[in-house]
Amino acid sequence: MSIGPNTLALLGKELQTEFRSRELLTTTGVFILMVLVLFSFTFDPTSSESRRFGPGLLWLAFLFASSLMLQPCFLREQTNDTLSSLRLAVSDPFSIFLAKLGANTLFLLFTELVMLPIFSVLYSVHVLPQIHYLLLVLFLGSLGISITGTALSAISAQARMRELLLPVLLLPLLTPILVASTEVTVGLLAPEPFMEWKGIGVLAIFDLVFLTAVWLFGEYLLEE
Amino acid sequence: MKNFDSIFAAYLVGWAVYFVFYLSIGKRAAALTGEIERLKNSVGRGK
Amino acid sequence: MSKRAILGLLTLCLVVASAYASFYVAPLERTMGPIQKIFYFHAASAWAGMTAFMVCFVANLLYVWRRQVKWDWLGVSCAEVGLVFTTVVLITGPIWAKPVWGIWWTWDWRLTSTFVMWLLYVSFLLLRTLVEEPDRRALFSALFGIFAFLDVPLVYFSIRWWRTQHPQPVVLGGTGSGLEPTMRKVFFFTVLAMHALMALLIAERYLLEKLRGGVDELKREAEAQ
Repeated sequence: MSIGPNTLALLGKELQTEFRSRELLTTTGVFILMVLVLFSFTFDPTSSESRRFGPGLLWLAFLFASSLMLQPCFLREQTNDTLSSLRLAVSDPFSIFLAKLGANTLFLLFTELVMLPIFSVLYSVHVLPQIHYLLLVLFLGSLGISITGTALSAISAQARMRELLLPVLLLPLLTPILVASTEVTVGLLAPEPFMEWKGIGVLAIFDLVFLTAVWLFGEYLLEE
Repeated sequence: MKNFDSIFAAYLVGWAVYFVFYLSIGKRAAALTGEIERLKNSVGRGK
Repeated sequence: MSKRAILGLLTLCLVVASAYASFYVAPLERTMGPIQKIFYFHAASAWAGMTAFMVCFVANLLYVWRRQVKWDWLGVSCAEVGLVFTTVVLITGPIWAKPVWGIWWTWDWRLTSTFVMWLLYVSFLLLRTLVEEPDRRALFSALFGIFAFLDVPLVYFSIRWWRTQHPQPVVLGGTGSGLEPTMRKVFFFTVLAMHALMALLIAERYLLEKLRGGVDELKREAEAQ
């Protein structure tokens, strides 16, 4: 079987596992909401201040949430010892990665899309006019977070202090995502919205570089 | 010299950091060499 | 005298000579005065730190490809030495900034991206302490080292672009740009001296790691008996 069908099959399995319990999505959503509420105490959430600080805080919330959400990714396989069976089932270990990062991207996107209207109401920013561009930056940002987060969760699953290690490894690596996504989002939510294409460029390059890196080195992350 | 304290502090701190690092390597190496001797003796005795 | 002692002495001479050159050969900078002389030490340390991280990257790639333990030893040595040099950069930067701008830290793009790079390599070393099995530790830290190094240019460019969107007082001035010829010579001599120091420290650290490998092997032998 080639990489495509393998990946789709595994992706289906990942999605099915999550939608049966929905615990990951629910907990991540609640976490983001909590962070949004707590952030409101750190500055004066008037409309102009929200437009200035809001996007950065939103992306910070997504980053923190993802560093927690991505923990179970490979930990689950380890506790149930299913990783070796997965590797036997597919010819190319990259399909395992692709499936997991695809699933993680979808989970992140789903949670972000649910949180976006809540953010819009709580911080009085208008998201609908630029929704198409917002979807683009959400997609590219979430993809970048998932690619690196999935790879690093394979490492942290086999280390001590794994709950703290994954954020410690992941967050500095995601600096370009935070910077670029925030800049683009600030532009889109400004009183006169504009599209910061340079930021999109940074996100796209980040995604491409790390997807290539995972393709080249992914199998070593799954070694026994 | 204007701001002499700052230049002095910068060079002093910088060199101190490198020197302390160099010394710490030396100390760790000495400890490991001692341990190698100890282990070699115990392995030799065991044989 | 042993080869190591000779090299050590040579490096010390180069470093002292570069300091002398910075103070007595390089002319005084017009606007900042004497405090500008921190630049030679500060920027040369930054370059040497970057070189160490580059060598670390190559060692990481070689380890993943060849799985020879010497590449792991080289990788961790370069990461640690690179981190030491970057620490000096992060300390001397604020010491420079305080008299010039009255504040210790500013989120100037150079300092910020250096700080993030510093954090990445701190994470690299932290990861090594948290993975117990030696082969796995070597592999995982090599892979993270590769990711970290690939990230560095992205961090650099994204933060630089972000900071030019929001102009801040330029703390460190036009460093490197439009350097007067004598200043440029002194700077490159200091870069040479710092690289010599870097090479010396990496070599010593590598030998330490090699010793540690020897201890582990002997311990295994002792346990086998």
